[in-house]
Amino acid sequence: MSKVTDANQPPSIAGFGMLASALAGREIRVDVAAADMSAWTDGNVIFISSPASVRDQLAQICVQCALLAAGSLDRETLKQLTRRPKWVERYLAVEGLRALKQLQDLLPGFMGPIIEEETAKTPASQSPQSSLDIAKSQQAIGKPPQSFGSIQVEALLAAQVREGGAVSSGQHIPRKQQEKPLTELKDDADQDEEGGEDFTSPVGGGGGIRKLLQKMFQMVRRLKDGGSPGADAPTHWSRSGSRARARAVHSSARPETVEDAFGKGDGILYPEWNIHQHGYRLDWCSVLEIDPPADAKAAVGWLEGYGLRKPLSRLGMGLDRFHRQNQGDDIDIDAVIETQVERAAGSFPDESVYVESRRHRRDLSVLILLDISGSVAQASLTGASVHQQQRSVAAELLTVLFEVGDRTALYAFHSQGRSAVHMSPVKRFEETLDGRVMNRLYSLQPGAYSRLGAAIRHGSTVLMEQGGTSRKLLVVLSDGLAYDHGYEPVYAAADVRQALGEARRDGMGCVCLSIGADTETGTLRRVFGTAAHATIPDPKRLGTTIGPLFRAALQAAESKRRVA
Amino acid sequence: MNMTNSNIKQEYSQPYYVPVKNEKQVFKAAYKQGLSILLKGPTGCGKTRFVEAMANELGRPLITVSCHDDLTTADLVGRFLLKDGATEWVDGPLTRAVREGAICYLDEIVEARKDTTVVLHPLSDYRRQLPLERLGITLNAAPGFCLVVSYNPGYQSVLKDLKDSTRQRMVAIEFDYPAPDVEEKIVAHEAGIKLEQSKRLVQLAQAIRRLETGGLREVASTRVLIAAGQLVAEGLTLAEAAAAAIAGPLTDDAQVSNGLLKMIDVYIGS
Repeated sequence: MSKVTDANQPPSIAGFGMLASALAGREIRVDVAAADMSAWTDGNVIFISSPASVRDQLAQICVQCALLAAGSLDRETLKQLTRRPKWVERYLAVEGLRALKQLQDLLPGFMGPIIEEETAKTPASQSPQSSLDIAKSQQAIGKPPQSFGSIQVEALLAAQVREGGAVSSGQHIPRKQQEKPLTELKDDADQDEEGGEDFTSPVGGGGGIRKLLQKMFQMVRRLKDGGSPGADAPTHWSRSGSRARARAVHSSARPETVEDAFGKGDGILYPEWNIHQHGYRLDWCSVLEIDPPADAKAAVGWLEGYGLRKPLSRLGMGLDRFHRQNQGDDIDIDAVIETQVERAAGSFPDESVYVESRRHRRDLSVLILLDISGSVAQASLTGASVHQQQRSVAAELLTVLFEVGDRTALYAFHSQGRSAVHMSPVKRFEETLDGRVMNRLYSLQPGAYSRLGAAIRHGSTVLMEQGGTSRKLLVVLSDGLAYDHGYEPVYAAADVRQALGEARRDGMGCVCLSIGADTETGTLRRVFGTAAHATIPDPKRLGTTIGPLFRAALQAAESKRRVA
Repeated sequence: MNMTNSNIKQEYSQPYYVPVKNEKQVFKAAYKQGLSILLKGPTGCGKTRFVEAMANELGRPLITVSCHDDLTTADLVGRFLLKDGATEWVDGPLTRAVREGAICYLDEIVEARKDTTVVLHPLSDYRRQLPLERLGITLNAAPGFCLVVSYNPGYQSVLKDLKDSTRQRMVAIEFDYPAPDVEEKIVAHEAGIKLEQSKRLVQLAQAIRRLETGGLREVASTRVLIAAGQLVAEGLTLAEAAAAAIAGPLTDDAQVSNGLLKMIDVYIGS
C-alpha cells in the first residue's frame, strides 16, 4: 500500500492524488504530463496535461480513473491493442464512456454534460470486450473529446510487467516472459528500468577481475534510483565483495555536508573503543545530524504491521493491584481498619480505602537506528534488497509503537570515516508520525560505510536525553557489517560490543535485528553478541520473534537499572 | 464513583431509524427467544441508534455502558461502598438491567478487559444468570432482559479481538453504511437540510469510502455526515461544513487533509 505523496508538485495539482485514489478505488498518484502529451496513465500515476484548465484536468483525472476502476486497462484487453493506434482511439471513445457511466454516481457534477454529449454520438457497450469489438468493427465512432486523454498501451503493459515480479533491473527474466518486452519497441519505461544493466562489466560478472577492471577505469557508477550524480564515485570497495548480484552503491553524501565534516569543531564528538590497546580513543568520532532528504515521488508503505501489534502492545502492560485508592473494585480491609481506628482516636481519617486493579501505563521510549550503508543496498536471496526489508521493518515498528502510545524516534546512519558519521533524524521524539516522516524514510538512499559504534553511542545519548520515560529501548537494524575507514572487522566488533554495553549500563534495552541479510551468524554474534539479537530471513516472520526479544532486552536493562 | 458512563434512557421520543436489511426482524426474534445479540459494523453507521429504536419499539428501558480499557467487572456488576462506617452494596448497570429486565447495551465491547467480558458468559447463554461473587448470590435475569453488545471489526481488531467463547454465545447482526439513497434521506432528516444538499455530502462520503488506506484510519461515517449537515442547517456553506465536520476529524496529517479538502472542493465546492 502506498500513500499519496505530492508535496513538491505545483499547487494546482497537489492533493488530486487522493481524489484519483478514491475514484479509481486504489492508490494512484497524479503528475503533470510532458508538454505536448494528452492525459494518460501507466496504472500507478495519472499524467494530466499541464496547459489545460483545472476543470479540464479534473475531467482528465475522472476519465483515467474510471478506466482503471472499470477494468478497461486489463492486460488481456490491452494486448489486443498493441500497435493499433486506430483501434486504441476508438476503444477509448467507447470504453471511456462505458467506464464513466459505470462510475457516474461517484463523479463530480460537471462530468454529467460530458457523459451526455458522448452518449449522443458513441455506441453503448456492456463490457471491455464488447467495447473492443465495437472498436474493431467498421461502425462509425466520433473522436473522443480532449478530456479523455489517451491510452498508452505500451506503458501500461510495461508497468504491469514490472508489477508482475520483474521489479529490479538486475533480475533474471525467464525467456518466456522476455518475449513480451522484446516485441514492444516503443517500450521506453522498461528500457529505463534496464538501463543500469549496461554498466555491468561482461568480464568476470561479480568476480575479482571485474573489481580490478573497474578500479583501474575508475568507472563512475550511476545511482540506481536517482540521487546526486557524481557523489557516488568509488572511493573504496565494499569488504564483502559481491553477494548475489552486487551493485554496491557508494556514498550519496552531499558535497556541502562533506565539507562540514572536515571543518573544525563540527559535529558531536564520541569516543571509540580501541581493542588493541584496551582503552578509549577520546573524542575520536564526530557525528553530524543531517536532515534527511524528502523525495516527493518516493512510494511510501503505510500502515502495515498488523502482525506486530499484538506482541508489542503487550510489552509492559500487566495488571496490577493498587491499594488505598479513592475508588476501586474492592474494599481495602487494612485501610478500612486504619480509618476506623483513626476515627475512633478522633483524628481525621483518610478516605482512600479501595483496591483498584489497573494496567500500567505505557512507559517506553524506543529509538530505532537504521543502517543505510552501502552494504545494505545489496539484494538478498529473496529479491528485495536488505535496505528495502529493513526499511519496511522500521516503518512497521515505528507505526505500531507510535500507535500503541510509545515515544518513538528513528535515525538512519552511515559514515565516511571517523570525522563524518552522518545521522539522519527521520523522526525525532517530538515529531508526530505523519506523511512527512514516512516520506523521509522512503527517500533514504543507502551508501557509504557504517561506523556502528559511533551511531549507537549517539543514538543512546539521544534516547537518554530525549526519551523521557524510565524504560528505554534501542533497536539497531543493521546487516551487522560494521566497516569504515580505520574500522576493521575485529576492531569494529569490539567497539560495537562496547557501545552496546555502555547503553545497557545506562539502563537501555538493546535489540539488534538483522533482516534478510546473509551475514554469517558468527559475524553477527561477534558484533551484537552481548545484546538481544536476531537474524530474521523475512520481515513477515518478525511478529513471532519480536515480543520475546524486546521483553528480554527490557528485562536485562531493568536489572541493570536496579543495580545501578 | 466510576458509574458516570452508564445512564438510563427510559423515555425516548421515537428514534429515527431506517432499516437497511432484515435487522429488525432478527433483533425481535432473538429478543423473544432470550438470545444475546452482537452488532458488528464500522464507526458511526447507526448501531447505537438501532438499539435505541428497538428498545423503544419493544417498550423496554435501555441501559447503555460505553466500554473502555479500564472497565472492570465491578464497574458492570456493582461493588461495596463504605457509608457511615458500614459497607453498602451498590448495583452496577448490568445488575440493574438484570433485575429490572432492561435491555443492556455494551458499546464497543472489545475495549473492555478480557476478565470483564467473562462475567457475561453465564448471562448470555441459556442460563441467563448473573453470579454476584461478592454477595454470594446468583441472580436470574428478569423477563425482558436482553444483552446487546456492539463491536467494530475493523477497529484495532488485531490488537483486541472478542474471545471466541464470547462471540459464540451471541446472534450477530452485521451493519454497514446505508446505501446512498437511504443515507441521503437519513442525513437530510437528522440534520434538517434539503435532500439536494445531503445528496452532495453523501456523494463525497461515497468517494472517501473508496480510499483504501491513503493514511486514513477510518472513513467518513453517517455520523460525520449528519454533523456536517447540522452545521449547514446553522447557515454554514456545504464546503465549510464538510471541511469542519468531515475532513478535520478524519486526519491530522497535513498532506492527507490537503487531499481531503481538494476532494471537498471538487465535489461540493462550486
